[in-house]
Amino acid sequence: MTDNKMNNIYLPQLVTIEDIYDETPDVRSYRLVFKDSTLREGFDFKAGQFGLYSAFGLGESTFCIASSPTRKGYFQCTFRRAGRVTNGMADLSIGDTMGFRGPYGNWFPLDQWKGKNMVFIAGGIGLPPVRSVIWNCLDRREEFGRITIVYGARTVSDLVYKEELAHWGKRADVTLVQAVDPGGQTPDWTGKVGFVPTVLEQTAPAAENSIAITCGPPIMIKFVLATLNKLGFRDEQVYTTLENKMKCGVGKCGRCNVGDVYICKEGPVYNAAEVKKMYNDF
Amino acid sequence: MADKYLKKEALEKLIAAVSSSGGCFIAPTTDARQVVFKSVEKAADITHDYVLARNSYKEFVFPQTEVVATFAVRQHGIGLTGKEVAPKETVIFGARPCEAASLSSLRAVFTWDFIDEFYTKREDRTIVMTVACTTGDEACFCTTVGLSPESTAGSDVYLKETADNGYLVQAISEKGKAFVEKYAAVFEEQAGAKTKKLFMPEKIKGIDLAKITGRLKNTGHYDEPVWAELTRKCIGCGACTYVCPTCHCFDMVDEGTAYEGERRKNWDSCQYDSFTLHASGHNPRDTQFKRWRNRFMCKFSIYPDKFASKGCVGCGRCVRVCPVRLDITEVMEELSK
Amino acid sequence: MENALRKKAKELLESGEVKVVIGYGWNRAKTRATPVFITKPEEADRLVFNPLCVNNLSVYLTRKFKDIAALGRPAIVAKGCDIRNIVVLITEAQLKRENVYIIGMTCSGVVYRQELWKGELKPEIMPTKCGNCDVRNPHAADAVIGAKSTFVPPDAPAGMVFNKIKEIDSKTQSERWGFWIKEFSRCVKCYACRQVCSLCYCERCITEKNMPQWIETSAHPRGNLSWNLTRAMHLVGRCTFCGECERACPVNIPLNLLNQKMIMVVKDSFDFKSGYDEKTHPPMIVFSPDDKEEFIK
Repeated sequence: MTDNKMNNIYLPQLVTIEDIYDETPDVRSYRLVFKDSTLREGFDFKAGQFGLYSAFGLGESTFCIASSPTRKGYFQCTFRRAGRVTNGMADLSIGDTMGFRGPYGNWFPLDQWKGKNMVFIAGGIGLPPVRSVIWNCLDRREEFGRITIVYGARTVSDLVYKEELAHWGKRADVTLVQAVDPGGQTPDWTGKVGFVPTVLEQTAPAAENSIAITCGPPIMIKFVLATLNKLGFRDEQVYTTLENKMKCGVGKCGRCNVGDVYICKEGPVYNAAEVKKMYNDF
Repeated sequence: MADKYLKKEALEKLIAAVSSSGGCFIAPTTDARQVVFKSVEKAADITHDYVLARNSYKEFVFPQTEVVATFAVRQHGIGLTGKEVAPKETVIFGARPCEAASLSSLRAVFTWDFIDEFYTKREDRTIVMTVACTTGDEACFCTTVGLSPESTAGSDVYLKETADNGYLVQAISEKGKAFVEKYAAVFEEQAGAKTKKLFMPEKIKGIDLAKITGRLKNTGHYDEPVWAELTRKCIGCGACTYVCPTCHCFDMVDEGTAYEGERRKNWDSCQYDSFTLHASGHNPRDTQFKRWRNRFMCKFSIYPDKFASKGCVGCGRCVRVCPVRLDITEVMEELSK
Repeated sequence: MENALRKKAKELLESGEVKVVIGYGWNRAKTRATPVFITKPEEADRLVFNPLCVNNLSVYLTRKFKDIAALGRPAIVAKGCDIRNIVVLITEAQLKRENVYIIGMTCSGVVYRQELWKGELKPEIMPTKCGNCDVRNPHAADAVIGAKSTFVPPDAPAGMVFNKIKEIDSKTQSERWGFWIKEFSRCVKCYACRQVCSLCYCERCITEKNMPQWIETSAHPRGNLSWNLTRAMHLVGRCTFCGECERACPVNIPLNLLNQKMIMVVKDSFDFKSGYDEKTHPPMIVFSPDDKEEFIK
């Protein structure tokens, strides 16, 4: 690279779709690898960070990296068909090219949590960012205490990562509680029926020496926080990731700020104490 | 560097000299019944009788629409090329002292941590030649935000009109000094000419910037009914953000055909309801007053606190352009209480 | 006139017949009229009415303003020209007649170029619409305030906009194209024209529909042309020539020319002018066997 070559912060890297998983009728996961072999080998990120994914001709969209940093050589994203970009992405096939910029943002401070019990609470499409941390912890299993996962969706078909849920359910070192909203169950559903905060309260994970990570619809997060407080969790023990609309991912475009906080640069990961100090602009 | 003198008729020579060295000369000129910053080729095109140009000159450092990359579908994947910019020397003549202070604010946003070289490369090649104001209007409020026609912050070269139809020239920045040296033939030694009286807008008494910033710092103000009451008439047109010299928000869009296209960075406005709308339908700023509050926060809390720079330079463009005359100083006054 | 207006507003608020009066007040320096929302009887004295009251306040009756709707039943201070927009809103089922109280103001014209206002109305500072106005006595109000106007508009519409239209019509097609491309080249895509327009009430504007992206959002010639022409087309048979879009345009695109030309075409083809009668539907949404079919050749 010569000196006058521009460093273009908006220029994505090319990635190839290596594998596709249909999670639900409108949610897909892509396993992505960088075309550039140096990047492929050297790509490093931390659980909780996000990226901007391009479907060329349609634009860029922001999601977390859904795989664990312990898995090398590839990364994954999970998205729901919603707008122009995600619909364009969903139309792609194995072997197609996408763009990726990242990793951006802060991360879950896993290194500070050695020896802690981990409680993961997710709703619907909120599981992907949490899943990155779950696998990160499972791949470093000996560093953590008890692992509890409470996951719910509107209906059985809306549950993402079904194979992994089955795997976690079988593991002796993981407590998995699955739930669907009332009316969302099928005749053969063996999990719970109820809303995530209620199911969490019934599960009642111990607050002592624990860290809770939650992600889901804003209304769910609100009630989960209240439930966790009731179970004895202090706000400093509860983490979430705030995903706002972003266009640049690098603190320029002016979209993601909550009051004076730029989610893309200072977030997206915050503990509940920090969230409660923010402006009411969610 | 000692002060220089520039005759008005020497502007012709300056434009020619800048152009012949490959540069671009931007000055206030009259177009469609408005005074606007535009590229000029001769001195006669420059309008001298104006308060401020309608547009901010930010469009020459941060273009309204700009290609950042091009892509094409190839047999094996996608061909992607980042856009390179190699800006020409760009002289902004006739900026006012208020707006001159805005570039450092934009620079702060475009360089914190990640550096947007589309901006910095252009700004590095921009010379701001400020002409101090001898006229103003009721929308001017630079003195209320701590600036004045005598402020030289942000100017590379600062000019004061003289009674004998010329300018007293002060090179302010290193870039400005180099500019005056480069075009030394155009400037004369100072002849002790008398400068014209400057227009000094009256400071609005009820406004206290420190108080506003302090009040914004307390997150509780978000739920005060004052916001909805003060900004109810806002129609969300975003014209204020487009003429504002410190507004920096943008959108990224892909345009083109199914086979090739370009990714563009386009001005956008925090006043639009679609600006923060999530694909899920959730919108954190779902009513106009929240969007207006956000812009006000940006000017008087985010810029000063996060970027240690001025969010509002008091140029008054937003006041002049607003179709419902929502005067930001009236909101500032209310929040100073 | 102002006293009568304030008295009326006070009565309406006190009786609870309306919850808010949307009208005009002064800015701090008393140099410009600006929209005000009066919710308490004691604030009614803030209302003013004078030739600087140029805004068409009917925009606040549209569904774009949910927080204003939430205040409760409104009364609106409206000039005859503004009432025409309210009538279109009623025709297009955006508003129920009984859900708004119209305080009609007789009007002798407004000031288009407010910086030139010296306290006296002169044709050169007034918009073209005022010189041709046939609704100086409000035509569909619940109460009318002000002395009856005896103004009679000229038989043939006259004024700057009409002169300019004649001039453009006399040009060749390529010259006309060149004229508009040049005018649209200044567009900054701020959409002030849309936001200020009470007839641009779509929940989602076509510029925001991106699957597919009908209109390119970039402010380049393609995007600017498609935006301005699409908006003009969406206003055909509906626009009342209130002039708000051109007034709001920060780059002075002569949108009045475009819209008035369309109004003339509609008048010529369908003998229809919008905003007079809430029962008559605009020609673009009705079919009549008598419609001209000149376009089929």
